[in-house]
Amino acid sequence: MNILIVGGGISGISAAKVALKGNHNVTILECAAEPGGLMEKIANCRVGFKTFFDEIRHDPKLTVIKGGKIIGVEKRDGMFEVKLESGNSIYADRVIVATGLSPFDPKEIKGKRIITSLEYDALIDQRNEELPAQFGKVAFVLCIGSRSKEYPLCSSVCCSYTIREIKWTLQRAKPEITVFYNDLRFFGQEFYMEKAFRDAGVTFVRANSRYFEEDEKGVSVRYFTGGELKEERFDYVVLSIGLRPNPQLVPLSKLFGFSLNGFGFVKEEAPLRTDVEGVYVSGGALEPMSIKDAILTGFGAGMIAIRNGDFPSEAIRNDERFYREPEPEITTPDGNFSSCLFYLGTEDTGARMFYEFVSAKFIAMARDLKKAGKIVYVLTKNMVTPSYGELVYEDARREGIVFIHLEEGEIVTFDGDQARITGLKREFVLNAGKVIRFDDYAYLFKEKEFLSLYRSEPQLRWSPTKWGRKRYHVGFIRHPRAERWETREILGALGEILLDMEEERVLPEVNEERCSGCGSCKDACPHDAIEMEIREKQIALFGPQVMSNVPIARVKEDACVGCGLCASTCPSDVIHFNSV
Amino acid sequence: MQKIEKNCALQNEKIIELAGYKKEDFSVCLGCKICASVCTVNDLSINTNPQELLSSLFLGNTIEKDNPLVRYCTNCYRCTSACPWKIRIPEVVRALREDLGIESQFEKAFKGAISIWGRVYEPYVFLMSATFMLKEGYMQYMPKWLEYISFHLPHKTKRR
Repeated sequence: MNILIVGGGISGISAAKVALKGNHNVTILECAAEPGGLMEKIANCRVGFKTFFDEIRHDPKLTVIKGGKIIGVEKRDGMFEVKLESGNSIYADRVIVATGLSPFDPKEIKGKRIITSLEYDALIDQRNEELPAQFGKVAFVLCIGSRSKEYPLCSSVCCSYTIREIKWTLQRAKPEITVFYNDLRFFGQEFYMEKAFRDAGVTFVRANSRYFEEDEKGVSVRYFTGGELKEERFDYVVLSIGLRPNPQLVPLSKLFGFSLNGFGFVKEEAPLRTDVEGVYVSGGALEPMSIKDAILTGFGAGMIAIRNGDFPSEAIRNDERFYREPEPEITTPDGNFSSCLFYLGTEDTGARMFYEFVSAKFIAMARDLKKAGKIVYVLTKNMVTPSYGELVYEDARREGIVFIHLEEGEIVTFDGDQARITGLKREFVLNAGKVIRFDDYAYLFKEKEFLSLYRSEPQLRWSPTKWGRKRYHVGFIRHPRAERWETREILGALGEILLDMEEERVLPEVNEERCSGCGSCKDACPHDAIEMEIREKQIALFGPQVMSNVPIARVKEDACVGCGLCASTCPSDVIHFNSV
Repeated sequence: MQKIEKNCALQNEKIIELAGYKKEDFSVCLGCKICASVCTVNDLSINTNPQELLSSLFLGNTIEKDNPLVRYCTNCYRCTSACPWKIRIPEVVRALREDLGIESQFEKAFKGAISIWGRVYEPYVFLMSATFMLKEGYMQYMPKWLEYISFHLPHKTKRR
């Protein structure tokens, strides 16, 4: 089967990887001079992309067309004939749209020292030997070009990207950093990073600003916090720009015939499928998403393309390799109260990664209660509703639920049905018939093996669902979030299983005849992959008929990574890598 | 206590109605405080936060006459143009002034002319607000204006 992938970014490459593994011919059509997309623009991600792409770069079944532009598409007998500007034609059975996202350009507020986050990335690139001379104070301003009337979606990656830029900055220099945010929308363990940077002296301000006055030596920023207006000078102001749908999707949708939604993203008819048969979609063409999710959906789109578009049947979904857990049901409280107060905030850093899940639940509950005619207050420290979740949040605000945004350092104390908010400058009391707190739901996450809790960010990025060779986490137990992700994750996991399956692995072999069972290999193994097994063994010393129970080393296939420490430790040289 | 709160809430509903927009056009506020960072009242080194005006409206708190925004807002719409949701806060301020009865005679006359003819009819405005304009407007600032155009009344000097 011939598969055409439109877009050579990280998601397209991931899809290509799965399709190549499934033994299909793959063509990647890239409009720029080199594949790479947005990930290539980030200095610290460039190497990751290159390594990932190098694994398939020289595959004979892969064709990469650079600088290609589609001028016409014809569909005959389920076959797409894609005509290029260069005069060539590509014949493809399946098409995967992976056009990615395009960063917002804040023309009106940009300046010489007011730069976008991508420009700042180039400024602190490791390849620049020196940082600019004036680099004492840097401000990051979030939510530029997203969460507005013009474009109501949340870009869902700018917060995470900003916290990484802070990390990369602090690796090179020690400027004073201030972050102006609306909500900190982190994923997984980034909340620990946030805490570490807070402790290291990075200031977080829960206020945004549009007052920037630039002169040759710096930028003055005005912002309102703690009941007063402050003006501060910074050497650089970094605008954390949002991500918009790729404008190329409009001509592409006309050529291929699939439809777009109101925001300019591809309309997802079924998981990772457009409404045209044979055309699939992955990555940033779906919604604003991070690199990890782009890889996950890339794997998924590659998988669904080679499976002819049918969604995995129940039998596959119930495969024992998938580890799923039902989402806990949270029911809206009912009772005879006229007003209800939600408190979305917690002091427990580890629980913060569940803000995303709990925010969505709280909004749903608040809307239910509002419909029942109750007065609803939501006290928020951090409302995490990424991408399309922002629309639900917007509806909740429009419906008249009162959201009170807590500033940094404001403390809420509960006394029965009374919530007292104490800040630096303001203090007020809210009375509510019923109080629902984040911590009331913390038990849902206790002692559960969430993948995002146990895996570091790079591990989650390159193998998005894998817990172990026989266990792939999908849905709630991978990372609790919006429902539409579960089916995508199942597809992604299927792609990942396919990629894992034929991987050649060399396992150490134990010569059972000669093993003395000393256990030194067991002690040496860092992955706990060797166990001592008691077996009957003929003992030659006492004649041919004498049998005895002795321990023998056995390699556990699941856990072994093939590092070879056991072979080098073995005192009697009985562990070998035979195929080498 | 609760009765008073309810009255306030009703009062606030009325203010929103007077502002001429739907409630949801104001309640969509994200609480980002961009409005406060650009507000011209803050240029007078008076600390004011237009977003707080909105939130106290929805919390059912009373807004006093001497709230700096009610007193000094110039309806410049800088907040609206910077706001990501383009919330028209000056409309709320105008409604508040109307509700609290601190509109000037001129404003009343101006609005009256518009409600009658759909345009400003100067003779009407002048007739309705002549006393105000002379007392509060022109007459009060006359000496300053004269100084501004460097006109001084001649001083009497004694001749020896």
